[in-house]
Amino acid sequence: MISKFQVAYKNLLRKRTRSILTLIGIALSAWVLVSLLGFNQGYESALNKDIDNMGFQMMIMAKGCPYEAATMMLKGGTGLRYMKESIIDNIVNEPEVDKITPMLMQAVFDPNKGESGGISAYLGVDPRSFSAMKPFLTFRQGGWFVNEDSYEAVMGYEAAELEQRETGDMILIPEKNIQLKVAGILSRTGTQDDGTIFVPLRTVQKIFDRSGELTTIGIKVKKDADSTLLEEKLYKLPDVQIVSLAEVKHTIMKLISTAKVMVLSIAIIAIMIAMVGVINTVLMSVLERLKEFGILKTIGAMPWDIFTLVWIETLILCTTGGILGIVLALLLSRVADIVIRQILPYAPSGGLVVINLKLILITLSIILCIGLLSGLYPAWKAGRVRPLEAIRSDV
Amino acid sequence: MKSRYFLSHGFSGKAKGFRVKAAIVVFFLVMTGYSPGWGAVGCDLNDPDRDVARLFPESTGYKTVYVSVAQKGGESLLLRIEKRLGDKFHGIYETIDVPYTIYEIFAGKKKIGYIHGVNQKGQFGGIQVFLALDPEGRIKAFYIQKMTSQFAGKLRDAKFGRQFIGLTLMDLELYDVVTGKASGKVSAIKNPVPEAESDFRAALRATKKNLILMDEFVYSSHSASSNPGRVQK
Repeated sequence: MISKFQVAYKNLLRKRTRSILTLIGIALSAWVLVSLLGFNQGYESALNKDIDNMGFQMMIMAKGCPYEAATMMLKGGTGLRYMKESIIDNIVNEPEVDKITPMLMQAVFDPNKGESGGISAYLGVDPRSFSAMKPFLTFRQGGWFVNEDSYEAVMGYEAAELEQRETGDMILIPEKNIQLKVAGILSRTGTQDDGTIFVPLRTVQKIFDRSGELTTIGIKVKKDADSTLLEEKLYKLPDVQIVSLAEVKHTIMKLISTAKVMVLSIAIIAIMIAMVGVINTVLMSVLERLKEFGILKTIGAMPWDIFTLVWIETLILCTTGGILGIVLALLLSRVADIVIRQILPYAPSGGLVVINLKLILITLSIILCIGLLSGLYPAWKAGRVRPLEAIRSDV
Repeated sequence: MKSRYFLSHGFSGKAKGFRVKAAIVVFFLVMTGYSPGWGAVGCDLNDPDRDVARLFPESTGYKTVYVSVAQKGGESLLLRIEKRLGDKFHGIYETIDVPYTIYEIFAGKKKIGYIHGVNQKGQFGGIQVFLALDPEGRIKAFYIQKMTSQFAGKLRDAKFGRQFIGLTLMDLELYDVVTGKASGKVSAIKNPVPEAESDFRAALRATKKNLILMDEFVYSSHSASSNPGRVQK
């Protein structure tokens, strides 16, 4: 015996073009919805990963205009501000502090980079505390420096690639004319470390005549410690400023939420358009088949049978459209990722649109619920058809 | 100074907002701008608009094409290139999938030449050697975009580059990149800094490699008769 599903399916095939157009509408809405939910989830986890990859949650820098501090990090040498290394003693004793790592960044002008020269930057790090804070760093070749004051360098993946360096090769610090031996080359991390040349802290201090001075201290806060309290305490230290990455994350997420609201509005509009499309398709189909429903009733079909028959048509449309949209979203998530990266001023590394099973099920449920709601009116209209009136009608 | 403002006033709303702004600025720079913009494995002109106009003053425009040995012929092409070069591709950076950027130069609708650069391992860092070539494969200009060495200035000097003008692949075919033994026109190229012999040889190897790659990627599609710079394979 032919089931209601088969009848509903055959009915949809009778008006193939109309059914396909409705399916496309539902699929597009599902695509937008699942991509948006995927972005919501992916962006935050990618940002968290980027912050975790820095290895520390707080940075201390010498006091000054923050924009100047920013320029300092971008341009290197000129205008760098320094703090005394002795400040470390005040920080390590704070109960909230888990680990710290001192850094000294220096940059030199290299006249032989391009037509008008360029900057070469070197980050002086304490090999023990820096590597302990970034245990995820792995080596493609070699390893960390042997001594705290050796004339060696560890190169980030891209830095080594550009300079065509391998372990044992030499690099030259322009201006200073000092040679460093490449001790190791890091594997790609997708972070700023890829483009960095790391040199032992003591060596950088010696080469650039900055003994006892630092530009940055990275702080890892203990788990469950009150970072705000620590921040307040650190602000009491003279001549330093604090950069808290938790605050940065919070603010970035707030900025991104504006974009999310806009995209969500578009998704809601798309869903509403799809909903109207479903109502239109099913209602048209019902109106065209009034006589048919009349005949079905005269041969014993109950209003509930007609109602469920029409509702199943809606169910088929929404399920197929929803699945198509999700497949589309999965296939095009990489494209969506690229487009989002072009639009946003800052996008963390890693996948920005992450679609998992939970998101798929949520989207499908939303599409089904909305679709079935849309199908209620046409199904109800079909169910209450009066047989004689319908058979006599011209439709 | 603003930083003093928030320090002396504790954690007021205004100061907190400022602190957050500061943190964001620093964070963005740490995440995006801290390193001096290392490029991919390929070799691009730093400022194509400016460099194309400088190397081809008569040009009116250019088109950028990306090719790799893997894409153009794979392993067999790599072997042929290595054979013509007389040396294996070295290390972890000179690989089959390196994307080469070829700038096709136009004067109106007419193609008047090419600019192509290659990376080469030097004594203290990567060397980027660019050649401006006419449609027949003859060197119009030689330009070292980047080199790290105490003597880089002399090797990047226009006087050194002028020695390469007019050379073709045929002239460099007999140059031995392993021993540095040269004959013909190449033997006339003088090293301005004897102390930087390895970088001088690296520049010559890069030039030969550059011309071979251009021959394989571009000139091999031209007829040999109309292309004096091309060497028959």
